[in-house]
Amino acid sequence: MSAMNGASSLVASLEAAGVDVMFGIPGGAILPAYDPIFSSSIRHILVRHEQGAGHAATGYAQVTGRVGVCIATSGPGATNLVTPLADAAMDSVPVVAITGQVPSLAIGTDAFQEADIRGITMPFAKHNYLITDPADIPRAIAEAFHIASTGRPGPVLVDIAKDALQKMTDFNYPTSVSLKGYQPRTITCAESITDAADLIAQSSKPVFYVGGGVIKANASRELFELAQLLGAPVVTTLMARGAFPDSHPLNLGMPGMHGTVAAVTALQKADLLITLGARFDDRVTGKLSTFAVNAKVIHADVDPAEIGKNRFADVPVLGDLKHTITALIPALKESLAKNRPDLTPWLRQMNSLKTTYPVGYDIPTDGSLSPQYVIERLGKISGPQTIFASGVGQHQMWASQFISYEYPRTWLNSGGLGTMGYAVPAAMGAKVGAPDTTVWAIDGDGCFQMTNQELTTCALNNIPIKVAIINNESLGMVRQWQTLFYEGRYSNTNLESKRVPNFPMLAEAMGCIGLSCDRPEDVDATIEKAMSSDNQPVVVDFRVNRDAMVWPMVAAGTSNDEIMIARETAPDWGSQEL
Amino acid sequence: MAQHTLEVIVENSPGVLARVAGLFARRAYNIERLSVGPTSNPETSKMEIVVNLDGHVLEQVIAQLDKLVNVISIIEILPDEVQPIVHDTQPDYQN
Ligand SMILES: Cc1ncc(C[n+]2csc(CCOP(=O)(O)OP(=O)(O)O)c2C)c(N)n1
Ligand SMILES: [Mg+2]
Repeated sequence: MSAMNGASSLVASLEAAGVDVMFGIPGGAILPAYDPIFSSSIRHILVRHEQGAGHAATGYAQVTGRVGVCIATSGPGATNLVTPLADAAMDSVPVVAITGQVPSLAIGTDAFQEADIRGITMPFAKHNYLITDPADIPRAIAEAFHIASTGRPGPVLVDIAKDALQKMTDFNYPTSVSLKGYQPRTITCAESITDAADLIAQSSKPVFYVGGGVIKANASRELFELAQLLGAPVVTTLMARGAFPDSHPLNLGMPGMHGTVAAVTALQKADLLITLGARFDDRVTGKLSTFAVNAKVIHADVDPAEIGKNRFADVPVLGDLKHTITALIPALKESLAKNRPDLTPWLRQMNSLKTTYPVGYDIPTDGSLSPQYVIERLGKISGPQTIFASGVGQHQMWASQFISYEYPRTWLNSGGLGTMGYAVPAAMGAKVGAPDTTVWAIDGDGCFQMTNQELTTCALNNIPIKVAIINNESLGMVRQWQTLFYEGRYSNTNLESKRVPNFPMLAEAMGCIGLSCDRPEDVDATIEKAMSSDNQPVVVDFRVNRDAMVWPMVAAGTSNDEIMIARETAPDWGSQEL
Repeated sequence: MAQHTLEVIVENSPGVLARVAGLFARRAYNIERLSVGPTSNPETSKMEIVVNLDGHVLEQVIAQLDKLVNVISIIEILPDEVQPIVHDTQPDYQN
């Protein structure tokens, strides 16, 4: 125990929690904390917008599996964190946000830069604190890290009144955390494992429906073993790309609104969904009442509230997925020894769909650049170790579809909230967490204009990320919906971003290398040029055809059975008896 | 739909009522009646929440409530029977 002010106690607590980096911007209410930060072992990266700090913390957490930390002042600093914290909540990312608050006596008086950030974040934060007594700081920080990183991970906010940072206190970091109302279940109950194994051994059309939880639980290796053991097809959701290698013959790709025909159909026609860390999101299920109507459901998750939320679980399996899958492997071996159904007809059907309907695209006949081609080449040339972070829109779907993900934590995106502006700051955080790995942001021209200011942060702090702008001069995903559902009335989706801004010049202005490319024959050379400079951020303006669309597509609110592989074109189901 | 009475023991900390009320509001569950009072332990309070929900939705309410860090336990009070139902919010299977 030692005497110090609340600010020093905060920084000592963050050090004790193992923080090595945080992203933030100072201001009045948090200023006392910035003094001890100045001499702390923690690297503080001064961002240009608090939203960037929040997404950077998320990117860092998604790549490292550790808690990401962001810090901001009261009022506008704190409210600028709202979007990234909501984003982290939807995608279950462990993030701790520290905010300064006006002095405790001023709270509730509409003081300068007062915002009730605890109240504002209450609906989505996993938990949050308002600290007015400096003695509470170490415990709040210890609890925040514990809550953010255990069970189903999520964002926790600690709001600290300025006077609590200034007053003297005794620093005493708790050695353990015990919370009466928070005890996430880690060990999976043996009975549910046996029931799951027995049900699997009775199924002739099982599918592994794999969600982001497998990556969070670091259970990819276990999943690999389980999938090999059963030999059943695997689908990986948008949040789970990389949880199971795309190159594996059992992998049918991504299910959902823009999923592959094989993945969508496998879920629809299965007699059993082996659901691992997925949550039956509407973008995956389509119209829920018509989703996988003949399937029984095993639902394994660490969050009890997810099990049975959208879809009844015949066998609920509550617990940490790493433990669950590890326990399921021997149990399944035992069940299969008694009864091993022949999965060959099912696999043959799914493989035929996979080969008949791979994700593909048309090369524009006018010689213009195809966005899918650019993204495909980025994946091929950069290789499977590369980390990709995408924005939200068409380019996001293509980045999921046309890059082969082989390892967990190599694909970062905003899946749940769909936050435009995620890519650049998330890539920044990812590069800080994995400095020796190539990190590409694949961003839209719209998304890029929301958060590109963090390229300045990257340039000044030696964070050499690479950004591929898929410049279709429009809010492409919205434009696609206007094409399909609003008779091509393109209301407010034309960004004109082939005229303004000049992206390479903008990049150069922020201390990055700016490149551009608009011919298919230059794509490889441009990517290689971007790959060759590793001490400065690089931005490439890929000027692509604006009319490309994302296919396949299940229109919102319709049944997965109505999947389209191109405009007004359903797959030819022919004599496929599924 | 039948009325169900939930006895929710919460930490006696500021903002707890807002957390519980907010949860009901944002997930569009109606509260029929709500009362908050002390318990013999000064560190906890007791909420009695009456809801008009059944089956799956009731289970969801309880599961979501239990995720609030400040919520310690949830018991369903049954008028006609002596034994209350203890909801640990895990599917029945796991009890
Ligand atoms: C912050 C935010 N605002 C609006 C939207 C709605 N939205 C979804 S995709 C999209 C277009 C994105 O445009 P761009 O970044 O150019 O990507 P593209 O679809 O063209 O690849 C919009 C506006 C959103 N997801 N997030
Ligand atoms: Mg665009």
